[in-house]
Amino acid sequence: MHPNEAPDTALLPRSAATGEPLLQTRQPGYYTGFHTMSQQSFWDESTRDLVTMRVEQPPSIRFFTAEQAKFWRAVFDHLIPQHDRTPDRRILLVEPLDERLYLNRGIGYRFESMPQDREAYRLGEQAINEESQYRFGGGFVYLPQRQQDLTLQAIHDRKPKTAQAIWKQMSIARFWQLLMQDALEAYYSHPWAWDEVGFGGPAYPRAYTRLERGEPEPWEVEEQRYEWLAPRYTVSDVTESTQHLHTEADQNG
Amino acid sequence: MLGSLQKIHLPMRRFSETDEVDYLIVGCGSAGGVLLQRLARAGFNVVALEAGPFWDTERDWVSDESGSHELYWEDPRVTGGANPLALGANNCGRGVGGGSVHWAAFTPRLHPSDFEIHTRDGVGVDWPIDYEIIRPYYEQLELEMPVAGPAYYPWGHPHGYTYGPHPMGGVGNTLIKGCTALNIPVSIGGPVAILSGSHGDRPHCIYRGFCIQGCKVGAKASTLITHVPDALQSGAEIRDHSMVSRVELGKEGRVTGVHYFDRDGNSHFQRAKAVIIAGYSIETPRLLLNSACPGFENGLANSSDTVGRYLMAQAGNVILGRFDQPVRMYKAPPAHALTEEFYESDPKNDFARGFAIQTVGPLPIAFGKQMVAAKRAWGWGLRREMMDYNHWAAFGLLGEILPWADNRVTLADEKDRFGLRVAHVTFNLHDNDKKLIKGAKAKTMEVMYAAGATEVIQEARYAHLVGAARMGADPRSSVVDKFGRTHDIANLFVCDGSILPTQGSANPGLTIQALAARTADYLISQRDAIFTSNQRDLSEPPLHRELAPPGTYGKGAPRLT
Amino acid sequence: MTATDQTLTLTHPVDDARTIANHVREGRFQRSLSLLTAITSIISGLEVAYEHYRGSYSRRVMYTPVILSAVLAVAAVAGFFSRRAARTLLRLAGFITLVDAGVGFYFHVRGIARKPGGWRLPMTNMIMGPPIFAPLLFGTSAYLGLIASYLQREEGNALQRDETDGWLARLLPSHAGRDLISTEQDMREGKFQRQVAIVTAVSALLSGFEAYYSHYKNNFRYKAQWSPVVIAPILAGAAIASVKSRRIATTALPAVSVVAGLDAAVGFYYHARGVLRRPGGRKHLLYNIMYGPPIFAPLLFGAAGMLGVLASLLRRRQA
Repeated sequence: MHPNEAPDTALLPRSAATGEPLLQTRQPGYYTGFHTMSQQSFWDESTRDLVTMRVEQPPSIRFFTAEQAKFWRAVFDHLIPQHDRTPDRRILLVEPLDERLYLNRGIGYRFESMPQDREAYRLGEQAINEESQYRFGGGFVYLPQRQQDLTLQAIHDRKPKTAQAIWKQMSIARFWQLLMQDALEAYYSHPWAWDEVGFGGPAYPRAYTRLERGEPEPWEVEEQRYEWLAPRYTVSDVTESTQHLHTEADQNG
Repeated sequence: MLGSLQKIHLPMRRFSETDEVDYLIVGCGSAGGVLLQRLARAGFNVVALEAGPFWDTERDWVSDESGSHELYWEDPRVTGGANPLALGANNCGRGVGGGSVHWAAFTPRLHPSDFEIHTRDGVGVDWPIDYEIIRPYYEQLELEMPVAGPAYYPWGHPHGYTYGPHPMGGVGNTLIKGCTALNIPVSIGGPVAILSGSHGDRPHCIYRGFCIQGCKVGAKASTLITHVPDALQSGAEIRDHSMVSRVELGKEGRVTGVHYFDRDGNSHFQRAKAVIIAGYSIETPRLLLNSACPGFENGLANSSDTVGRYLMAQAGNVILGRFDQPVRMYKAPPAHALTEEFYESDPKNDFARGFAIQTVGPLPIAFGKQMVAAKRAWGWGLRREMMDYNHWAAFGLLGEILPWADNRVTLADEKDRFGLRVAHVTFNLHDNDKKLIKGAKAKTMEVMYAAGATEVIQEARYAHLVGAARMGADPRSSVVDKFGRTHDIANLFVCDGSILPTQGSANPGLTIQALAARTADYLISQRDAIFTSNQRDLSEPPLHRELAPPGTYGKGAPRLT
Repeated sequence: MTATDQTLTLTHPVDDARTIANHVREGRFQRSLSLLTAITSIISGLEVAYEHYRGSYSRRVMYTPVILSAVLAVAAVAGFFSRRAARTLLRLAGFITLVDAGVGFYFHVRGIARKPGGWRLPMTNMIMGPPIFAPLLFGTSAYLGLIASYLQREEGNALQRDETDGWLARLLPSHAGRDLISTEQDMREGKFQRQVAIVTAVSALLSGFEAYYSHYKNNFRYKAQWSPVVIAPILAGAAIASVKSRRIATTALPAVSVVAGLDAAVGFYYHARGVLRRPGGRKHLLYNIMYGPPIFAPLLFGAAGMLGVLASLLRRRQA
């Protein structure tokens, strides 16, 4: 998205009171005024170097082709949407994934029902495109936002309409888990996301003095809640408790 | 640096490859570190080979969730079965200190009943030792780490701790409120191997909540800071970035040393009079299986076909509760309160054995994964849940899954970067396990509601890993004897979490280190007999208190019990 | 002075108050002060016992204040019953305990420096590390015991001079020893108002600072938590001004001291309430005392107030 493009208001979350779209902001979330990066002089050198580089020098794309990168950006834009952020304050999600695949760095295990990660992403791209083609008559990147959301919802719900051959080679539930893990890792490892959720960030050598009752440190802020609705196009603002499933295989397998 | 104040100054002694060292330890983790220190202090020539790095905590560790992945075993493994286990960051360490670098440091003891669950409840198997034999070692390690906790801990065999209990964080207070409302006793402030007061050059905890990412302060115990410095001082050698590929069996049916790859991928052979494998529950059986040779085609020391079997993980479901008032669970160590009120078998239950309920403190990425599993959150729903991060508290239950022969480590056809076949882990829950998880989950959710949570959800998962080279008196159904000596080969030992026959509902870290100290004392008492004779003396050794790392004694409050 | 105005009637408070004031004025309150020393020593001892348990007695030296407060308490009780014990045992115990307080202060400062970040994170490490001025405040009971050892007893008539009473002074190097003998004489006569005023000021400032950073940890959740932080410098100011001005010593000083004392009582109530309101409440009482608001801390603030009142009743050394 071009940095000077006017935001498409249909993509923005809305005020719960008025239903009007909320303006894009540099920092969504309930902790306005809280910035972990402003505390970096209280961190140790190794941590400061690592986190600063994450913010200022994200890796470049080396594994995916340009087409693939464009595809995955579109997908991750739905897994963790950031339309409420101003364009200059969006967290890159595909670059960290690309680096992991470039280095062929795994997480230390592969489920029997899954191929290796590089292959999983290759098959996944194929399956998602087949699904979007089947449902809406186009490749994923060409669809409007809502249809992209619905395509991914099919994977999330484990109810694909097509690509059965691919889902025979790869567990759809574990693939979804893989996608979400990579998305979460990229987003919530970033200081801007820490600011959004009110997480204190690195804590060495200076740690915490107010451990109880959820009290903020002198350099943290109190929560300033506001009620909001998700944008109209999306179907992802729905959660479903899996409390009744007591084994990991039932929940995620 | 090993923490914010502690340093290792000395140049380390280096053995040459042509030397035949007395003991060679594979893996310098929780057990390996303790063994290394005790054997070195007793005067033996010892080398530890560690696949991961020898950490400089100031330089190598970061106060960052995502940046800490190097602490875990990330080399490939395959996991399957009806209920596959997640490995990697969930339970597998790598580097000097091993699992004790990334553990949350809960250090409860096993209960006396854990050693005889077959006799008592007709499930699992009995240990070849009882609680009284390991008790002195529990007390000893509780001083060496040291362990902080309440002055009176009521469950199992009641006992007290010399280091005082910790202050509470939001999750601990939630557990206390819930337990108090239901009249359930709760252990506040421990037992954890985290300093509540300083200990020599180790400052006390600063309550930063990054335990699982490695303690840069040096307050949380890992063998890297509690035992390795004294091991080096006493003349031991640690070779890091050394991946052991094979244990070599000699013509006389005794091992002669190990082959290993150095950091450049060159293969070496280190001669040793005896070998102790301490690679933990996946790498230990994997190494034995990969060391198959004529006479041991099914794996070294595997005449019983038990190597790799009876692998256990505990049920580790995380129950999360949302509160109107903020909690901020990222502050304070994840581990700071627990209850073992439901540890023992209760005839009212439809399952044998029991569970513990503990505090946990997920950081944002871990919490995000929990929201995905527990609420199927994604997209805007996930963004919304994450913005509420500070309103959630989390308990982890630990449920005793029993040892089953079909839960095992075998070899996959796939090979790693060293050309070694990788481990294939298979795990299946059996009937008692499933009923236990169901019951434990229900009780934990009850406690969370009683604490005032407005919404309670659950992420199903597993915690810890033990077994796969279990000890036993009968060579036909176990790999090692009660001291960790393999039944098949007189100078080959296994001493790590893989020798546990059952696991209880206690975090295994303290038990692993206690068993390592006891095995070390045994080897020390046997002296040269280990190297020269195939005879096995099974008498219990005396506890060598004088071999504790310096600075162990003279600190802490007197124990009440 | 006749024998009749030495005893308290317990039925006429105004008369009793005058009696007490006269006793203090003349330095004849050794027995009462010994008793007070015993009480404050026991309270201090309990506080340091559990606070050092929080620190897990990680160094053996942390046992010394616990042991010494018991010793001091015993010596003070002995001093209540025996003049000889007051002048020997109590004086020695007080002196050693005061030295121990200094040692404790050294270790606390060192402990803060050794925390990650050391003095570069002053507020964090004072809040979460060893309480910096606590050992000096712990020395208050030792100071009381020391003064008590020099006073006359309530029932004593004439000034008693006793050559053997200068034993501590003889242990010190000659210049310091001569100063001490002179001070001792003044104390025996109740003429040490300025000294106690200075101690009051120091005690108030130290207590006030402790209250400041401790309440800062709590984010001054209750407005009342500002009161000791505000009163302490006022009390210290009045006490320091009392060194120069006898007028202030007898008016402003006792007034502010009484306010401090009342504030201490209020603080004690709030702290006790805070302990009981913690999760688990009475069920985990010992833990909640350990980690709740320190219940004895307001009493130490009150001790500064009490010292201020004491100072106001004493006489001054001439010029």
